[in-house]
Amino acid sequence: MRVIVDYDACEANGLCEGYAPDVFQLDDEDQLHVLAQPGVDAAERVRQAVRACPKVALSLAEFADEAG
Amino acid sequence: MSTASVTLHDPDVYEQGVPHAFFAELRRIEPVYWQPEDPPGRGFWAVTRYDDVVAVSRDAQTFSSYAGTAMLSDFDDDVVELQRAMMVNMDPPDHTRLRNLVNRGFTPRMVGKLEQGIRDICHGLVDEIAERRQVDFVHDIAAQLPLAVIAELMGVPDTDREKLYDWSNRMIGFDDPEFQVEGSDGAVAASEIFAYANELADRRRAEPRDDIVTKLIQPDANGDVLQDLEFNMFFVLLIVAGNETTRNAASGGMLAFLEHPEQWRKLRENRELVPTAVEEVLRWVSPVMDFRRTATRDAVIGGQDIAEGDKLVLFYPSANRDEDVFDNPDVFDITRDPNPHISFGGGGPHFCLGAHLARLELRTLFETLADRVPDLRLAGPARRLRSNFINGIKEMPVRLW
Repeated sequence: MRVIVDYDACEANGLCEGYAPDVFQLDDEDQLHVLAQPGVDAAERVRQAVRACPKVALSLAEFADEAG
Repeated sequence: MSTASVTLHDPDVYEQGVPHAFFAELRRIEPVYWQPEDPPGRGFWAVTRYDDVVAVSRDAQTFSSYAGTAMLSDFDDDVVELQRAMMVNMDPPDHTRLRNLVNRGFTPRMVGKLEQGIRDICHGLVDEIAERRQVDFVHDIAAQLPLAVIAELMGVPDTDREKLYDWSNRMIGFDDPEFQVEGSDGAVAASEIFAYANELADRRRAEPRDDIVTKLIQPDANGDVLQDLEFNMFFVLLIVAGNETTRNAASGGMLAFLEHPEQWRKLRENRELVPTAVEEVLRWVSPVMDFRRTATRDAVIGGQDIAEGDKLVLFYPSANRDEDVFDNPDVFDITRDPNPHISFGGGGPHFCLGAHLARLELRTLFETLADRVPDLRLAGPARRLRSNFINGIKEMPVRLW
């Protein structure tokens, strides 16, 4: 699974960081960083983060050959 | 329909109260409901279920805010043209460009910096009422808070605050005879606001400060800058969107507490409930009752065929009581968690820019009231605004004990 960020749409609401701080981080200038592509253990939290984004700035690319 | 039919765009309906029973029936029987209108109204699809409101909100390509504006009423072409200068009536990519010029001031991090200022404002408001037996909660508390915050944000002197109050009443109260001298008074108020915004911008050009006005009239990193009309419209938007909404969330929330004293007692006894209490106030009140979209192509929403050009109206008070999403939706419960209400919109480009600011204002206000004015009682009926747009209270006499 890969996280895709639409940086034009992102407004640093920070909900994603709340769901998955190991994957998403806002810096001191409200720029969003994807720290690491989510592993299996983070997958569900990342899906929640994607759904929760009020600006619909996050999406996921899921690959059929990926385990989990 | 077994319930007597309600005309969903009739402002008289909302002066009596949000027609929750009718909405509940629509959600059950006809969740995307055709509401006929008299000309020049063209009739609209009332979208009443949570999932459908979210789906429409998040698909700006199919459901435009620009084509027919985001307002329920149908305007003349020249008014539509003027309305389109406001962000709320735009679509991407124009919307994205303007929004990106202003959004950096409203992130949780930036809003967090205002916390102490907002706390001081709240304490100042309570100081002013503390010596009195009876106050109008709307004028003396609920309206003053967002005005003071906007004034601080925009660098408006305290002495001009009543002006902002008057303008916002006249802009929003277009369907309420009490706030309008005549039909065109909203337009007169708008031109007064424009003139004031021009003055403000000129003053900052001559004398730049570290404030949002200065930031807005200077080019950003890309050399992009707000045009005069855009700046003026942003000021209008702030006065309307950042003001009436918070005012009525505060008034409507206080009324909910006065009508559910056991919930107020809970909050007084446990200040950790403030965040969930504010979310429940937002869900319960739904200060903005509706926005409109226009279909840019044929679509299906909630199983209903929508034709290109059709008008849709999203009803947030209905979505916020959708029994498929909320348990016991008609119960005011300040411990409700999770509470995925959509009082700030269903997500997408137009998700409320001021959501974090509004939350901070409301949290601070209710916390301060619970600390310092524990015993409030209604001293007369709350008078409601005649509007099909804002769930408003004009006056709410409250006695302090």
